[in-house]
Amino acid sequence: MKRKYNILFLLIILIALFPGCEKFLDEELKGERSDVQFFQTATDAELALTGIYNCLTFADADNRIWVFGDVASDDAAKGGNPGDQADIDRIDNFNIAADNGNLETVWAIYYEGVSRANKLLDNMDGIEMDGERKSQIIGEAKFLRAYYYFWLTNIFGDIPVHLTTPTPEEMQKAKSLRVDVFNNAIIPDLQDAATRLPASQSLSQAGRPSSFSATAFLAKSYLLMEDWANAENAANQVIQQGGYMLVNIYNMNFQLATKDNLESIFTVQHLAGQDPWLGNRLNQWFASRAENGYGFNVPTQSFVDEFEKTAEEVYDPRLDYTVGRSGQPWFNDTVMFDPSWSPTGYMQKKYLQPLDEVPRTLKADGELNFIFLRYADVLLIMAEAQNEQGKTGDAVGYLNMIRKRARECYLYDENLPGYGTIPEGLLPDVEDQGQSYVRNAIRHERRVELGFEFQRFFDVIRYGENYANNAFNDKENFDYNTNKFFPIPQKEIDTNFEL
Amino acid sequence: MRNLITWLSLAFFFLIHFTALSQTISGTIIDKNNSTIPGVSIYVEGTTIGTTSDIDGYYSLIIISGDVIGDSLTIVYSFVGFKPQQNRIANDPAANYTFDITLLEEIEMLEEFVVVGYGVQKKSDVTGAISSIKMNEINNLPITRIDQALQGKASGVQVSQTSGAPGEGIKVRIRGIGTINNNDPLYIVDGIPTKDIAGILSPEDIESMTVLKDAASAAIYGARAGNGVIIIKTKKGKQGKTSLSYNFYSGFQTHGALTPMTNTNEYIEIFNEAAAADGRDPIPDEIVPQLSDTDWMKEIFQTAIMQSHQLSLSGGDDKTTYLISGGYQQQDGIIHNSSYDRVNLRTSIATYLTDWLNLGVNITSSWSNRDIIGASGDGYGGNGGSVVRYAFFRTPPVPVYEPNGEFSDLPQFDGYSRAQLNTWFGDGYNPVGLAKKYDWSDKIFRTFGNLFADVQLMEGLNFRTDFGIDLSTGTEKRFNENWGTDGRINNPNSMYVNTELDFTYTWTNTLNYKKTFNEKHITSFLLGTEVIKNRNHGHIGNDRDFPDQSPNYRYLGNGLALNKSVSEFEDGWALLSVFSRVNYNYNNRFLVEAVIRTDGSSRFALGKRWGAFYSGSAGWNMHHEKFLKDVNWLSQMKLRASIGQTGNQEIRLYNYLSIIEDEYNYPIGGAMNIGYAVASFGNVNTTWETTTTYDLGLDLAFFDDRLSLITDYYWRYTTDMLIPVPLPPSGGSADPPFINAGEVLNRGLEVELFWQDTKKKLKYQIGGNIATLYNEVLSLSNGRPISAGRIDNGVYATLTEEGYSIGSFYLYEMEGIFQNELDIFTHAYQGPNIQPGDVKFKDQNGDNKINEKDKTHVGSPIPDLMYGLTMNFNRGAWDLSIFFQGVMGNEYYMQVNHDIEGFYRGFNVTKRYYDNRWTGEGTSDEYPRASWKATTNNKKPSTRFLEPASYFRLKNISLGYSFAFGENAGIKALRVYVSAQNLFTITNYPGLDPEMYDSDNLKTEKRSNPDLAAGIDWGTYPMPRIYTFGINIDL
Repeated sequence: MKRKYNILFLLIILIALFPGCEKFLDEELKGERSDVQFFQTATDAELALTGIYNCLTFADADNRIWVFGDVASDDAAKGGNPGDQADIDRIDNFNIAADNGNLETVWAIYYEGVSRANKLLDNMDGIEMDGERKSQIIGEAKFLRAYYYFWLTNIFGDIPVHLTTPTPEEMQKAKSLRVDVFNNAIIPDLQDAATRLPASQSLSQAGRPSSFSATAFLAKSYLLMEDWANAENAANQVIQQGGYMLVNIYNMNFQLATKDNLESIFTVQHLAGQDPWLGNRLNQWFASRAENGYGFNVPTQSFVDEFEKTAEEVYDPRLDYTVGRSGQPWFNDTVMFDPSWSPTGYMQKKYLQPLDEVPRTLKADGELNFIFLRYADVLLIMAEAQNEQGKTGDAVGYLNMIRKRARECYLYDENLPGYGTIPEGLLPDVEDQGQSYVRNAIRHERRVELGFEFQRFFDVIRYGENYANNAFNDKENFDYNTNKFFPIPQKEIDTNFEL
Repeated sequence: MRNLITWLSLAFFFLIHFTALSQTISGTIIDKNNSTIPGVSIYVEGTTIGTTSDIDGYYSLIIISGDVIGDSLTIVYSFVGFKPQQNRIANDPAANYTFDITLLEEIEMLEEFVVVGYGVQKKSDVTGAISSIKMNEINNLPITRIDQALQGKASGVQVSQTSGAPGEGIKVRIRGIGTINNNDPLYIVDGIPTKDIAGILSPEDIESMTVLKDAASAAIYGARAGNGVIIIKTKKGKQGKTSLSYNFYSGFQTHGALTPMTNTNEYIEIFNEAAAADGRDPIPDEIVPQLSDTDWMKEIFQTAIMQSHQLSLSGGDDKTTYLISGGYQQQDGIIHNSSYDRVNLRTSIATYLTDWLNLGVNITSSWSNRDIIGASGDGYGGNGGSVVRYAFFRTPPVPVYEPNGEFSDLPQFDGYSRAQLNTWFGDGYNPVGLAKKYDWSDKIFRTFGNLFADVQLMEGLNFRTDFGIDLSTGTEKRFNENWGTDGRINNPNSMYVNTELDFTYTWTNTLNYKKTFNEKHITSFLLGTEVIKNRNHGHIGNDRDFPDQSPNYRYLGNGLALNKSVSEFEDGWALLSVFSRVNYNYNNRFLVEAVIRTDGSSRFALGKRWGAFYSGSAGWNMHHEKFLKDVNWLSQMKLRASIGQTGNQEIRLYNYLSIIEDEYNYPIGGAMNIGYAVASFGNVNTTWETTTTYDLGLDLAFFDDRLSLITDYYWRYTTDMLIPVPLPPSGGSADPPFINAGEVLNRGLEVELFWQDTKKKLKYQIGGNIATLYNEVLSLSNGRPISAGRIDNGVYATLTEEGYSIGSFYLYEMEGIFQNELDIFTHAYQGPNIQPGDVKFKDQNGDNKINEKDKTHVGSPIPDLMYGLTMNFNRGAWDLSIFFQGVMGNEYYMQVNHDIEGFYRGFNVTKRYYDNRWTGEGTSDEYPRASWKATTNNKKPSTRFLEPASYFRLKNISLGYSFAFGENAGIKALRVYVSAQNLFTITNYPGLDPEMYDSDNLKTEKRSNPDLAAGIDWGTYPMPRIYTFGINIDL
């Protein structure tokens, strides 16, 4: 009967030892770090900072701010094959439901940028590192956060704002008024960034904002808020101290060899041949099908008509720098532009590279920047801010700097027919014929100077209902009050009950 | 842990030491049909010394010296339904006897046994809801995975294949979809649990499969049993002469019905009609003589071979039994360049080392290779393009080959620009070229098995320890060859190799005690512990720019890319459990069972790891009651009821942590900088999900069991459902953590009906099963729905929401076609540019405009009804079996029709669209006009693309002939047969296969659980029609 004791013994072992095995259930995370282990060193801070930049890229085909900035406006039509990307078509003609895919993807990407910035900023205190660089990292993170909020509020209007990492409960967040998005998020971030960032960034740091990038961005933000005095003040600082200049040839801003030039203030950078992809996919999205592109975002006749021409039919050279049109050479000198490539007969060129730079087969791996802010924009902001404050005489001076550079392309660009002399009557200086006249001149100039830089829609909305209704008169569904902002995407509505 | 092992070894040592002086009586108990009988009680008359026979009918009774007084003793063998037998022997500790006993049935009633958790039960004792499948029911099915065999055989068990590609995965759903995370059942192979039985066994290795459907029967496997349990018992050697058997079949496979597409003339006609509508250039007549007329659907298919050889050798003596088997199975796919090969070897040995210690080992090793082609989905997320999809898309005017013998790519005809030709004839890939260029293989070597020791501690008390391993190492390798016009496809070429080692060990210990009091109170008690640990380790290499694409050069390191990438990963999980079960049986009339189980899981944070699960069940064998004793036509009537809980912890590992990942890079100053970001949010409060099942069952049998009926009605509630609750995207796009928030109900009725007549010359059996299923999400994270099933950029087809089924389709409802301007004018506003011939959507909320608020729940991919019907006939040497299977009441979303009926690029269109499209008032109310411009309206995700997916399919029909041999012929049995699978299907589903479940897209789509996005057809690899010839030989 001794066996019975053994059984008992065995039972006791099996059961008694059991709770002691809790350790058996400990599984450590390997090969990756959790957020608790991360954010310790200077390297971690730099890695997390790059993560914030990552959301800028147009290597992500879902980064479609161009749909809102250009296609929704009077500058561009959807392009591409009819039926392809029907949701873009619906935005083009303002038949926009909250489940339109373009709303969700842009919303998600830009808020992800905000989220990454919040996470790093929350953790910067605990990171031991060189104080100067630490302050710069905070400045860059805040600049980027402002960038993401800037696009979000321009596209969607009133939006939820997080300035620290929210818990899942805090993610249930009501909308802030657009003006508060500027006042509580964008403006303070840019002001702080301007104090932290260096006055300039070397070429090896191209893509990082400087202190003047932040100030120029401030000017642009004040412009959107119609805070003319602050806009003028910030723009003036950039003009006086920033060290920027207009490059001789307009087109140098949109060419590989001359990118990151002295006119660039803040750009989104791209690099070919990387894994994961860091090339600019717009090179494929906007190129013609004949060159293995998709042919989206094509200029309208209205946009082309906006360009001035002389009595001898010589066009503002910016037209052919911006637009491919019938009878004009295409990138490769041997090829003429074929209007059948586009449903409007035009294609835009600012993000396209010739085939000898990016072969047909690697079409989506472009290397051009997206220029978010360049000096020409600051000058136009200055002109507009001054004009709106009644300083029309001063404003005309800045406006004419833009026009001068445009016409003087003829002095620098060997490829222009008649190179060497400015065609007679081309882009004459605007004269001070009163605030209203100059206002219209500035608006016209912004449209042609900054065309296809994803700004037009927001400018049109900014100019007010009358201007917008006039500009969008062929979009029968457009209603200014409904459509000045796009609907918050369905996925957000479904998950955020505070909206 | 080490302590535990040491102590157990010591315990074993003591046990062995203290069992020396005893008399042993052992043997095997069989019935008159030579089937072994488990569960027979064997006892010494007038004492409490006794034992029961094991699952193989083997018993071993130990009488310790001095326990019995007298010169002789009587051993009694008794078992319900059989006449008891007695054996008188001398009471001599030195004399060991072997008695093989044949028990004769009391009445003509054959008791069936079913395998249950950690043991066997007489079918009449079962109180839970169980379906069991004997493998002879599925013999001769040319299947490569054993779970396929369950299809249509057990009520309430839905088996579907992701696609018809050889070696493709299977989805098994028991009693619906309980959760929106993992719904796969748990498999127990000879006592060892696994979630993946791919490639472990070949169908011939299996003796029986038992499906534990309700929680009461599955609860004993608590930790991972929430989705039901399938217990697989493999074939073992039997005592007696060595027997050798060889099973062979060989056959060919063809495709079934294909979707009719337009030919070149029809294509041009409809293209030009759309071009005229949209003001585009038509395809000029002058080009027609240059055009081919290719039937791309036909071109991708081939007649494919499959074969299987299985050799098995088994035998044993009174102490040791063994079985060794080996098999080779090979299946070419019906689409070019896809195939599956497997070699498997198995050894099973069990021996009675002493009369009270049974040791054994079961080891299976298999090697398999799958040649894969992308055949479903759209290649989103890097899966590569889909051959089937491009076969739909590619237009007939383009030839398969260029005149130079190369695969055609972009259309090339003289005198026209590429842009024109692309617009007219499309720029999709050549599907034949695509299939043949695929170089994608998945090789898996797997070893699965266990060692066990079964110790009889005393009469009725057994201790069993099982140590199981599941080791799988695999290499997935894919080379993306650069080809096509100007090398446009896969430029640059690239390669991916993933090598992974996955190891799980399971150690289970159980104590089992059985005791009968006063012959009427039969009790048993089980106490057990189980530890499971898993480790997964692997590395992935990527390379690009291979200067030489020849196959011998397709190895990592040969590419010219400077930034090749390597990565390594390691993770693991662990489970720890204590469980107990008590059974009480009063005189075979009343049956009661209770189970408790406590589980700890590494997937939860400290303090949230442990979950306790309870269940109880009861049965009443009414036919043993006096008031039914005299009802002759009723041979069984049993009422069953059960309530039980099981747990589910199948969520992302390390869910409690927020994980930082790399690859969020960005170039600064022309140099790539590495970036990190939070890829998934963690939650420390997450804990076990619980499924509670209520089951009511009634088992009836009539006319000496010629007719039997098993019915069950169940309610299955999943609470604390583990959901990655979608967080507002404004909080960031990192994956949300799983939290406990949600409740799902599945309920249904299951009926299994069986009729047999084996007494006449023509013997036959007819078995049918049918199950209804109702699935509803009762609550979901405070009413926040989950959309899934991406069908376009940012566009989703399903919405899982309170009050609707999981993965319910959420779409616009098509009301018809606008016939004229008045129709458009009087209907809710749908947007600009709507013309007669466009799709009319229903204004669900009556606000007189069509927007996202008009989407509604319009259907579900979950069938309302599933059924199977098996018929076996036997006359003389001939046997015939027929097996039908089907589902009813579900819908699938044909995403592929977006493009082949919806007008997208220059893609082919279906014949049904061509024949039925709207061309003027009154011509069609179903298919809109031909136009690309109109797709903005017409292609909205609507019921236009939702199709009924019910089907009724002849899964198998086979006819066999068995030759008769004399005693000394040297051959015991020889049977030859012919069979055919999927011979015909009755369905209204216009896609290639209504049996498809989901697409390749889900393999890469983040956060998409297959059940949230099931039934979205992107063009799928259809099931083959298979014709086989086979031989079974027993020597």
